This record gives sequence, C-alpha cells and structure tokens, in this order.
Amino acid sequence: MDPASRPAVVIDNGTGYTKMGFAGNVEPCFMVPTVVALNESFLNQSRSTSKANLLAQHSAGVMADLDFFIGEEAFSKSRSSSIYNLSYPIRHGQVDNWDAMERFWQQSIFNYLRCDPEDHYFLLTESPLTAPESREYTGEIMFETFNVPGLYIAVNSVLALAAGYTASKCEMTGVVVDVGDGAAHVVPVADGYVIGSSIKSIPIAGKDVTLFIQQLMRERGENVPPEDSFEVARKVKEMYCYTCSDIVKEFNKHDKEPSKYIKQWRGIKPKTGAPYSCDIGYERFLGPEVFFNPEIYSSEFTTPLPAVIDKCIQSAPIDTRRALYKNIVLSGGSTMFKDFHRRLQRDVKKIVDARVLASESRLGGEIKAHPVEVNVVSHPIQRFAVWFGGSVLASTPEFYSACHTKAEYEEYGASICRTNPVFKGMY
Amino acid sequence: MILLQSHSRFLLQTLTNRVQNLEKGAELDCHWVEFDDVRYHLQASMKNLHILLLSVSLPAPPPETIFFGGLPFGAIEAIKAAYGGLVQILDPPRDGFNLTLKLNLSKLPPNEEKKQAFLVKVASVREVVLGAPLRVILKHLASRTVAPDMDQLVALVHRQNESFFLVPQVDKVTVVYPMRFNDSIDIVLATSFLQEFVEARRAAGLNNAPPCLWSPSPPLELKGAPADALSANAGFVTIVIFPRHVEGKKLDRTVWNLSTFHAYVSYHVKCSEGFMHTRMRRRVESLIQALDRARPDLENSKTTVNSRSFKRLSLKDSRSNSTS
Ligand SMILES: Nc1ncnc2c1ncn2[C@@H]1O[C@H](COP(=O)(O)OP(=O)(O)O)[C@@H](O)[C@H]1O
Ligand SMILES: [Mg+2]
Repeated sequence: MDPASRPAVVIDNGTGYTKMGFAGNVEPCFMVPTVVALNESFLNQSRSTSKANLLAQHSAGVMADLDFFIGEEAFSKSRSSSIYNLSYPIRHGQVDNWDAMERFWQQSIFNYLRCDPEDHYFLLTESPLTAPESREYTGEIMFETFNVPGLYIAVNSVLALAAGYTASKCEMTGVVVDVGDGAAHVVPVADGYVIGSSIKSIPIAGKDVTLFIQQLMRERGENVPPEDSFEVARKVKEMYCYTCSDIVKEFNKHDKEPSKYIKQWRGIKPKTGAPYSCDIGYERFLGPEVFFNPEIYSSEFTTPLPAVIDKCIQSAPIDTRRALYKNIVLSGGSTMFKDFHRRLQRDVKKIVDARVLASESRLGGEIKAHPVEVNVVSHPIQRFAVWFGGSVLASTPEFYSACHTKAEYEEYGASICRTNPVFKGMY
Repeated sequence: MILLQSHSRFLLQTLTNRVQNLEKGAELDCHWVEFDDVRYHLQASMKNLHILLLSVSLPAPPPETIFFGGLPFGAIEAIKAAYGGLVQILDPPRDGFNLTLKLNLSKLPPNEEKKQAFLVKVASVREVVLGAPLRVILKHLASRTVAPDMDQLVALVHRQNESFFLVPQVDKVTVVYPMRFNDSIDIVLATSFLQEFVEARRAAGLNNAPPCLWSPSPPLELKGAPADALSANAGFVTIVIFPRHVEGKKLDRTVWNLSTFHAYVSYHVKCSEGFMHTRMRRRVESLIQALDRARPDLENSKTTVNSRSFKRLSLKDSRSNSTS
C-alpha cells in the first residue's frame, strides 16, 4: 500500500518538549520532555586488556544501546537510579547531540507512536536559524536509519502561521512570536518565506521564568524542598501565573486583598514523604513580567518583548510592515499566560502610535498617516501551534509532492534536504 | 525496551485521562495508525460524555486467511470474553473499519485496580482481535487437542496482504514466518539477525524456550501454501510451540509475541542500523578532529561548526566512494 495513503507523522522537537502525532488530528498524541536517560555505566568500568573483559565490556556496551528512556520516564529513571545520565539532545532550538537525538526519535516512533517509519511520510520541524548541515544530518538519519518514504522539514515559525490557516482565511504573512522553553524568536514571514535578516532572538524564555519564580520563592523563604523547587516553580508558573496590565497597581491589589490573590501550593517532600505547603504571591504576575520588563530578571538583556517585535518589523522590507503589524501570531508554551496577548498588543500599539505621532509632528501636521493596525492573534492551540500547523499542512494533498522522497535521496544524497519548498497548501 | 507492549500507549493514555476527567470531558475525534497497518479511530460527542466509540481496522487479509464478516475467526467470541457487557459491538462498523466498539465509561468497575486492568485490556484491542485465531489454536494445544475442523495448514494475517502459517498438532504447534523486507540493507541485516537469533536459542539457559530454525527456502511445513507465500527475501523462520509455552498465564504473552514477531525483527533491524550509524558518526567526528588538529594553525579562532575545514561527508558519499 502506498505510504501516502496513510496519515503523515508530524514531530515538533522543541528544546523543552517534543510534540508528536499524526497529521489530520487537532492535538498531538504525546507531548514529552525532550530528554534521554542513557545508561553509560559501562564506560566507567575499569579498562582491562584481558580478552574476556573486553568481550564483557563489548556486550555491556551493546546492551546499553538498548537501555535508555525518553520523556518523563527518563526523569523518573534518573531519579531512582544512579546509572542513568540525562542528556538533552536539543539546546536553544538546535540539535546538539545527534546520538541522543536519534535515540529520542527511535523511542518516539517505535515505543510512543508505535508505527513503522517505512509506512509514513514524516514532517519534522526546525528553527529558522538551523544550519543546512543540520538539516542534512536529519535527512540522513530519517532516510538511512528509519527508511522513511518521504520527509519534509518545515520551519517552525511558518507552521505556527499555518496553524491559523483555515478554509476561509489563509494569511501566510505575519510575525511569529515563538516563546518556548529554552529559546524565544520573533520571526517575520512574508508569503510563507521567512525574512531571515530580520529575525530577532531573545535570550529569555520559559525556563528563565521558572528560574525567576524559583528564586522569588526561595528568597521569600518558602518551605519547598530544594530538590523539588524547580519542578514546583514550573507547576506554579503553568497553573497560577498571569499577565498584569500595570505592575504597581498589581502590587497594590495583592496587598489590599491577599486572600483573593495569594494561592496555596501543597506538596509532599520526596525524601521524607511529609506533606508541606507554601504561599504563592507576587510571583504570579512577576513571572510573566520578565518579558515586559526584563531588567527585573537579568542585567544583560533589557529590551522588552514588545520593543523587540517592533524592531523586527521595522527592519523588514517597508512594503510588508503593515501586513506584519496586522498579524502578530503567538506560539509556544510560554505565551500561554492569561492576558499575554492583550498586554503585548497594547504595548506594541503604544510604540507604534508614539512613532506615528512623532513623525506627524515632524512634518508639521500637514500629512496625516493612515493609522497602523496592530493585531496580536491568540488561539486556543497556541501551546502546540507549530505541531498543529504541521498537522494541517501534512494533511493537504500537496504535502506529499513537496516531500523529498527516499528515491530522490538515494539518487542525489543528503544535500536535497538543504531546501524544502514552500508549497501550495501554505496559501 | 526490547519487546513491544501489547497495549497502544496512546489509547491507554487517552482512556485513562478520559476516565479521570469524566465531567470535564470534551469532544474527541482522533485517528492514528500502528505498525502493520492497524488503524484506530476514537470518538466521543458532547451529547453523551461517557460513551466512546472505538473503531479498529486491520491489515488487509491475503486470500488464504479465513475472515468472517471482516474479522479473523474467533474474534467476536474473544471480544465478548475479554470485555463482557461493558462493550457493545456495533453492526455495521464505522465506514472503512473492521470493528467498532461502543464503550460505556460509566459502567466501569469501581475498584481502581480492576478499572485500570480493564482499560489496559481495551487498549490491547488489537491483540484481542488479531490474536484471536492464534489463541484458539494455542488453547487447544494447552489441553493437548486439535480444534475440530481445523485445516492442516492455517494462515493468519499479520501484515498488509501477508500471512504467517501454523501447523496445529496435538503435542505441538509449528509456526512459520516468511520474512520480507523492502530495503536491500534491511534484508541483509534481518537475515543475519535471524541467524543470530536462532544461534542464541542454542545457548545454555534457554533450553526451555521454543526451538527455532531459519532457512533461506520454504520449509516442508509450507507444502500446500499458495505460491505467493513462498517467496520471502529474508528467508523463513520456524518456531515450535509446546504445551509448556502456553500454560496458564503464559498464553497471553505467547499469543502477542508470536503475532508481532515480524514487527519485533523489523524494530531490531532499525535499531541496529541506528547504532551502526552512531558508531560511524563518532568515528568520522574523531577523524575530523584529528585532521583539524593536524592542520597548521591558520587563524587562532576556535573552530566552530561553520568554519569547519574538513567537510564531513554524508554516509551516502562515503559509501559510494568506498565502492568506486
Ligand atoms: N499554561 C502554561 N502557562 C505558562 N507556561 C507554560 C504553560 N504550559 C507550558 N508552559 C511552558 O512552556 C514551555 C514549553 O513550551 P514549548 O513551546 O513546548 O517549548 P519548546 O518548543 O521550546 O520545547 C515550558 O517552559 C513550559 O513550562
Ligand atoms: Mg517550539
């Protein structure tokens, strides 16, 4: 049977979380931390030259090849046993460890999705800053190891734009604000093509928010066991944080009505099993504030996210700017805070309005500029917008003809993976 | 992970979530595909939150296998035995599927452990349905009989348009798998994997494991099988099952392992390829490093990936170079 008659496999490997599933669905089947627990204990065994020992070492190595876990299982294995080391295959949006990445894919395909990679076309994602060499590595692993019949590597920001794609509306021009776990990018896209020279990166993302909350809670002397404090901070962030409209007013609100704003966290100490509880206060709005006032967290990077977005659009070709302001699309887990899009829209609008006003007064009020429409788009599937966009694209009939096939790979080699065409399904 | 589990991980996760948040339930409509062309569709509507419709489609059976109403023989009985009154078989099934089950989540056993065991059973629906005929035959073996009106050679579907074969006898059941792979490298690896597999069986400590054999040509047992079934590019594996392998609780495990043997081999072939590539990559990286160190120091800057002087050939290039 022709693999094109089966749904394509869509995998979005993020720095923090991997989303995987089958095209045509609304949600990915699994969202698991992008981490591998490897058993490398055999590497540390005393080296000896005796033949028996070498053999034993060899077979220990072979067994260790099969002895690894991914996702939450990797975390729990490394917590319960000291022979496993955690390895994070992706750093700052780029694959950092190909061996770990290959194992991660292997487990994802065979043990999570439980599908035969020969049976399905694959859609994978990459960051707009990924080097072509890295794309070749990916192609090599997919075609040589897994024998996939066809492969398409899409830029994650383009997919996030495509996520807003419905039959009625098909806007492939816009700015994608992707804030994930380890990296945040502002990426302008015109007609499905990334305007590479205007991409802006921000060194602050979800993990930093977690670290900041952890620090705030620690400084206040909250009673959280240290080995658990990062996980607790992450959960607090995901469950209770929100974006405020004015930080000073928000402090006042909390002080006036603590019972309304202060939440309780209850947990169990992992070592003793004793229950504990702690308060969650200002960090509820201070966490997300890191994006709007980065100086409260870092002294090195101090440009607020709205200003980065504005700079990004201002550096794009002039004829695309209005369309870009009109379609600022959010993507990634760390844009999920309540009211995040409202605050972003207001702040970007403020910057734009100020500039329009300044130029009008410079011209002496003779020419009135058309007002610039600023629109920050938020949708319910923001958390996995990239995956969803991939799922939509990979279920269009054009997808299969846009893929590189195994036959092409065998004919021309891995270099075919350097480029992936933008195809009609994107319009 | 060396053996595949019998339940679908995604189905079990979805069912468990659903049961835990029954009131919060939302609409559900998803589909997915597992190895060997088993497709699933799961649906729930807002109207009736605790009703789930689970549809399954099976690999297309080759002509020599026996199917009744789109299901292998014994499947209906097996479903009834596994799920009792908690599940209803809809007739006809959803368009494009072989089977549609209607699950009523409000009728689940209250006991947590039993509830979980039931959900695992539902998530193992492919084992229940596809493994049904094998289970019938092996159950007879356990009681040292042969099922009445059973052919001498029974064909069971395990992959799209492909079957494996059983020769049921009173004291043993012989299972023969024609092994086929698409990719030329896979064929080579699978062939050597299977030979090693047979060899490993001879090791001390595995005396009680089922005897197995590999041969490049069809074994005698396949006399009478259709010609299509007799061509297999990675040879034939024969496994002999004795009553001791299907006693009591061992039956379930044996049924699952036998019906997914091809997937098991295929998975290991892919793993070996992966590990070979890992080793090759490491070797190439270390050679590149050595070359870079040997290079006279042009610029003092640290070498980054982009400024790498010796381009790493892709596996493809190196392979064609070595053969030319
Ligand atoms: N509801 C939420 N509110 C705030 N942050 C969230 C929420 N859900 C997930 N996150 C955070 O989003 C980040 C993961 O986002 P994701 O887009 O999956 O990252 P990546 O693609 O880089 O792996 C994590 O830091 C996680 O804590
Ligand atoms: Mg991401």
